[in-house]
Amino acid sequence: MAQDDRRRRFELLALPHLDAAYNLARWLAGNQADAEDVVQDAYLRAYRYFDAFAGGNFRVWLLTIVRNSFVTWVKENRSNRMMFVAETPAADTADTEEVMWSSSPRDPEALLMQSIDSQTLGRLMEQLPAEYREVLLLREVEDLSYKEIATVSGTPIGTVMSRLARARLALRKLWLQQAETENAHGV
Amino acid sequence: MECDRAMRLLPRMIDRALGPWSRFWLTRHVADCAGCAAKLEELRAMQAAVRTNLPFHRAPPGLAARIGAALPREAPPPVARPWFRLPAFTFASTGLVGALAGVALTMLIIGGPNSAQNDVLQSVIGGHIRSLQAEHLTDVLTSDQHTVKPWLSARLDVSPPVTDLKDVGFPLVGGRMDYIAGHPAAVVVYRHAKHVINLFTWASAGRPDQPPRSEVQQGFNIVTWRQNGITYYAVSDVEADQLAKFAGLVQQEG
Repeated sequence: MAQDDRRRRFELLALPHLDAAYNLARWLAGNQADAEDVVQDAYLRAYRYFDAFAGGNFRVWLLTIVRNSFVTWVKENRSNRMMFVAETPAADTADTEEVMWSSSPRDPEALLMQSIDSQTLGRLMEQLPAEYREVLLLREVEDLSYKEIATVSGTPIGTVMSRLARARLALRKLWLQQAETENAHGV
Repeated sequence: MECDRAMRLLPRMIDRALGPWSRFWLTRHVADCAGCAAKLEELRAMQAAVRTNLPFHRAPPGLAARIGAALPREAPPPVARPWFRLPAFTFASTGLVGALAGVALTMLIIGGPNSAQNDVLQSVIGGHIRSLQAEHLTDVLTSDQHTVKPWLSARLDVSPPVTDLKDVGFPLVGGRMDYIAGHPAAVVVYRHAKHVINLFTWASAGRPDQPPRSEVQQGFNIVTWRQNGITYYAVSDVEADQLAKFAGLVQQEG
């Protein structure tokens, strides 16, 4: 049957990326139950629009759908305050804007950053806005290029780059605060 | 002035998004400028820490089954337009149709050997997918190359090079036996960031060496080559250039 064949092709392509899809949804939605709903919705949509996938990187295509499912889910289930896009700072729309790293060259900071444990890092990450979590995940965990991230998040490449820089800056700030608190408590 | 430019380029450096000229310029600048060098080191440290330590949430057991049960059984209505726009893929499709037609034509002309090769390719991808799905990534789970190699050579007629490439970003995870197109194969499993690389190997005694060739199949990158009577297929969803780098490292060991 053609339908069985279509389904088999879909499963062969989509199931290997289930962990990647879930990880993204889990970091965006913040808990398991909601993440599962987002992923299931995304897979059903992906199956429905499977014929529209015309080659290229399937993982990028699928993550794009996961991301869109999340946005839809937020609109339907959470207040406007929690809206994904609404959290975008106004300055973020300036595509050409470059974010500068504060110039305080101190090697100890680099050393400090190597020594963070998984749990602490996860906690810091959760404090970031969704769009920062998203861009960091796509870049550092999924290892996507700027162009691929632009596809998934539906933003211009310039925005991806400035948002990524902001996200790193924000994470770095939390990281340093965390280290100071630890020092203050003699940990 | 120079430092302003360097600071803007540093993130692109760690994201492998710099052209050769900028990269050349920046490398020289960083060699002479302690401030920018420190910043680069900090960025790299942070990237490495996020890649290594950020918790990865694997799909809970049962989610795959739940999705499978929810997929509609009957054919969906034909879709005129996707519900969101994907310019990159639409653009790719024009090229792909031509490419596919080309492949089909080639297969018609060449027939036998090409389809045999295609069988191997499909079989290798199938093996890679099974390894990710079934929680059966490794038979012998260890990063100790001196355990993996004897384990594999005790079971198979091939003794592939097994080296922990951890220091260059590809830690060894373990080894496994698999069947590729009906023949046993030794699989050496590596990781790169959170991604699995399956290195399929089998004996091809008497066949000439072949340089690495890259392919993209079903969203996976594949690099294949033959060296000293062993055929290699590296399969992963890491970026193509990283997989090529990995293949190069393995080749040095073989």
